[in-house]
Amino acid sequence: MFDFIFKRETPEAIKKGNKAIVRIQRFNPEVDEKPYMEEFEVPMTPDTTVLDALHHIKTEQDGSVTFRRSCRHAICGSCAMNINGSNDLACHRPLSESLDYHGKITIKPLPFQPIIKDLVVDRTTFWAQYMKIKPWLIPPDDIPEKEFRMSPEEVEALHNAETCIMCGACYSSCQVVGLNKEYIGPHALLKSFLRTADPRDSIPGERLEIVDGDNGVYRCHTIFNCIDACPKNLNPTEAIETLRKLAQKRLAYEEAREERQKTLNEPIREA
Amino acid sequence: MPNNTITHDVIVVGAGLAGTWAAMVAAREGVKDIGVLSKIHPLRSHSGAAQGGIAASLSNTRPVAGTGPRGPLEQIPPGEEPVDSPDLHMFDTIKGSDWLGDQDAIRILVDDAADVVYEYEHMGCVFSRTPDGRINQRRFGGHSAPRACFAADWTGHVLLHTIHEQALRNNVKFYAEWYVMNLIIEDNICRGVVAMDVLTGEVHTLRAKAVMFGTGGYGRAFKITSNAFANTGDGVAIAYDAGAPLMDMEFVQFHPTGLYRHGILMSEACRGEGGYLINNKGERFMEKYAPDKMELAPRDLVSRSEQTEINEGRGVMEDGQGIFLDMRHLGREKILSRLPQVREIAINFVGVDPIDAPVPIQPTAHYSMGGIPTTVDGQVIANAAGDPVVGFYAAGECAAVSVHGANRLGTNSLLEASVFGRRAGYAIAEFVKGGAQLYPVSGDPAERQRQRIKSLLDRDGDELVEHIAQDLKSTMTDNCGVFRDEDRLKVAMSDIKELQERFKHARTMDKGRHFNTDLLATLEAEHLLTFSEVIVAGALARTESRGAHSRTDFPKRDDEDWLKHTVAHKTDDGPKLSYKPVSIDWEKYPPQERKY
Ligand SMILES: Cc1cc2nc3c(=O)[nH]c(=O)nc-3n(C[C@H](O)[C@H](O)[C@H](O)COP(=O)(O)OP(=O)(O)OC[C@H]3O[C@@H](n4cnc5c(N)ncnc54)[C@H](O)[C@@H]3O)c2cc1C
Ligand code: SF4
Ligand code: FES
Repeated sequence: MFDFIFKRETPEAIKKGNKAIVRIQRFNPEVDEKPYMEEFEVPMTPDTTVLDALHHIKTEQDGSVTFRRSCRHAICGSCAMNINGSNDLACHRPLSESLDYHGKITIKPLPFQPIIKDLVVDRTTFWAQYMKIKPWLIPPDDIPEKEFRMSPEEVEALHNAETCIMCGACYSSCQVVGLNKEYIGPHALLKSFLRTADPRDSIPGERLEIVDGDNGVYRCHTIFNCIDACPKNLNPTEAIETLRKLAQKRLAYEEAREERQKTLNEPIREA
Repeated sequence: MPNNTITHDVIVVGAGLAGTWAAMVAAREGVKDIGVLSKIHPLRSHSGAAQGGIAASLSNTRPVAGTGPRGPLEQIPPGEEPVDSPDLHMFDTIKGSDWLGDQDAIRILVDDAADVVYEYEHMGCVFSRTPDGRINQRRFGGHSAPRACFAADWTGHVLLHTIHEQALRNNVKFYAEWYVMNLIIEDNICRGVVAMDVLTGEVHTLRAKAVMFGTGGYGRAFKITSNAFANTGDGVAIAYDAGAPLMDMEFVQFHPTGLYRHGILMSEACRGEGGYLINNKGERFMEKYAPDKMELAPRDLVSRSEQTEINEGRGVMEDGQGIFLDMRHLGREKILSRLPQVREIAINFVGVDPIDAPVPIQPTAHYSMGGIPTTVDGQVIANAAGDPVVGFYAAGECAAVSVHGANRLGTNSLLEASVFGRRAGYAIAEFVKGGAQLYPVSGDPAERQRQRIKSLLDRDGDELVEHIAQDLKSTMTDNCGVFRDEDRLKVAMSDIKELQERFKHARTMDKGRHFNTDLLATLEAEHLLTFSEVIVAGALARTESRGAHSRTDFPKRDDEDWLKHTVAHKTDDGPKLSYKPVSIDWEKYPPQERKY
């Protein structure tokens, strides 16, 4: 009755052997002069993920193959890497759907960030940009005994940004980041949007000034790479455009926020 | 002092909710010099994976009048009777714990719940809302009112990001990707830790006036688990090796809905929103086991019911080891708005869209009730008598305070990590500001750990560490899992002893120093072998069934002999067990039969 489960379409080549070839870019700066590719053969079932394959290689074949991972279900943001030329999370991606006609998959580290070892990159600039936009909320001084009131619609408007797992897939797909590490970047701009658009935040003006500068929202060339890359289907470009518009009417936005905050402790009246 | 020594007023190990709360509060209270170490980046901590919610008796929603206790929920209009209270939350938690929870600690848990949830809200946490703008609440197993405050099904994610951001705002210093290997306790005074900077492979001694552990759970000792790779129970193993006791380690919660074969969690919210459990005959079998609460009976009971169905041949999938979680009747809209993440998980990992088809699941090792025993202020105790280990604190899943006793209710652990992490933060601030000293350490503890690493890397046996870890997980799941008995537990114990021997010759493949995650896995495997022995020893000794510990050879709860906490100390001959009384309010909450 439930036999449709586990009937996924898999390329012919794999159906036969139940094996996949995993090509991994290796680089250990302690010993290697430059990165090189290495191939491993791994067993595969329809529910094997790319992370499972990497794990198999690490634990059974070559323990020095190095990558980050923790949660295995696309929520901790550790395992973003470049898979067949585009950035994705290894843990939520079925291996069988990632193979070419020779039954191969190619895995490299996220681009535009220095390589620490194999698939592990140095995220220093990524986190520095996150700090630059002050990711923390600054609530108003007048803290109620219970919760601030927010309408379901106000919450909904933040969903796009709230679920960002800081995996960096967007950051490492962004051509602007590739050219200019001073650029705040899609991840941090999305976070800035989350704070700026939150009715509980008291410093939207300051936030808009931060992202309004040289390396902020105007650097974005709306190439949309970040949207394609985001494994959580988020839309940093849209957030950046919103910030851009808000920055243009910053004073009015600040006033509107002050006005909204006057009723933050009152029930939302249903329309 | 030897080279490579770092000092702080306070060192926190672990950057999940418990550790970060403690650090943030201590910083806010004026402790300037705090270092938080985490073996993975703080935002990767397992707290972020929690889906369903955090409990607090806010009384924001209730079942629509006339629809019965399982009917749809609506916001409670202002001025109308609350449906929930801290007292009710307290009773549910005690009953859920099968009376092994300490009632003084549970009192604090439920009384502080609303305040901690509101504090999250004030710090920017984006909760789902009722139409009039309050925090929305849903049902969860074992709770007799809609009590789970949630942010869709990524509650832990928003809590973790919120508290991390506020810690940054308070200038807490984070050491991301530092692996703590050893705890320094001399003369019952905690003096610091030894940790490896994963990037460089260098080992440092870090001294502090106070050390706090928020190192999370130990579910990785089992084959099928919902836990992240990081949940290897390092903290409990390290504390035990340093002479601190462990409490109630035999109590491990198996969650009823782990994704078939993967173990990845399908949140209890699936059932909270109305999902059914179905066997291969298409029956909602919970009718037989908990006719009143049905699928929303507590986890231990539901997992045992599933396992019974499976053992008696009514499981699904080829090997009959699965059960179906059917959510089709909830409809597309509800699944998309309330359970978007679990839907993606089901699609990505087993290729099933819950909108169209039932999802195969099975019981999965999920939560560690046991851990490092503490007072209600996070102060670690040295023995069953309750004497403190000076300067050593713990909170969250690695600790046993104990609010969960023999079985935790869903949504109570995000609450526990927050409430007791926060309390530990206040206690640590007071301790440090009250003139705590930086005690000297004798010898060179870092050098001892460097030697440990060297000897691990020098071994060239023909067996891989991973195979030993896999064998351990198999025996733990098969012999110390949902159902236990003396024979099986003895098998588990002798397996563990043998695996500890085999480990002495195990080979680590990566011999380098720089970002060596193979070495980390070896150290983690050693920790698994250490505390698994304590789990099995406690389970063997406890000849009764209580909460998550279910002995088929002793199927009844035995309050006469076993209404007490297991306390284990390390000795040369293995764990030495002693017992500690449970804090019970005999007037108000005396032990009762636990029926759902
Ligand atoms: C899939 C899943 C869903 C869950 N859903 C819910 C829910 O809906 N509601 C609920 O109440 N509970 C839920 N729980 C349980 C809850 O998430 C955890 O109990 C809680 O988050 C634990 O928090 P913590 O701060 O104690 O530890 P964690 O968040 O696990 O953090 C542990 C920290 O310790 C660090 N660490 C560990 N070892 C070392 C070491 N050797 N050196 C340095 N650092 C170290 C880690 O890096 C990490 O930062 C869920 C659990 C799982 C597995
Ligand atoms: S926006 Fe998407 S791709 Fe970018 S960091 Fe967040 S989750 Fe990752
Ligand atoms: S392992 Fe956590 S996102 Fe992939």
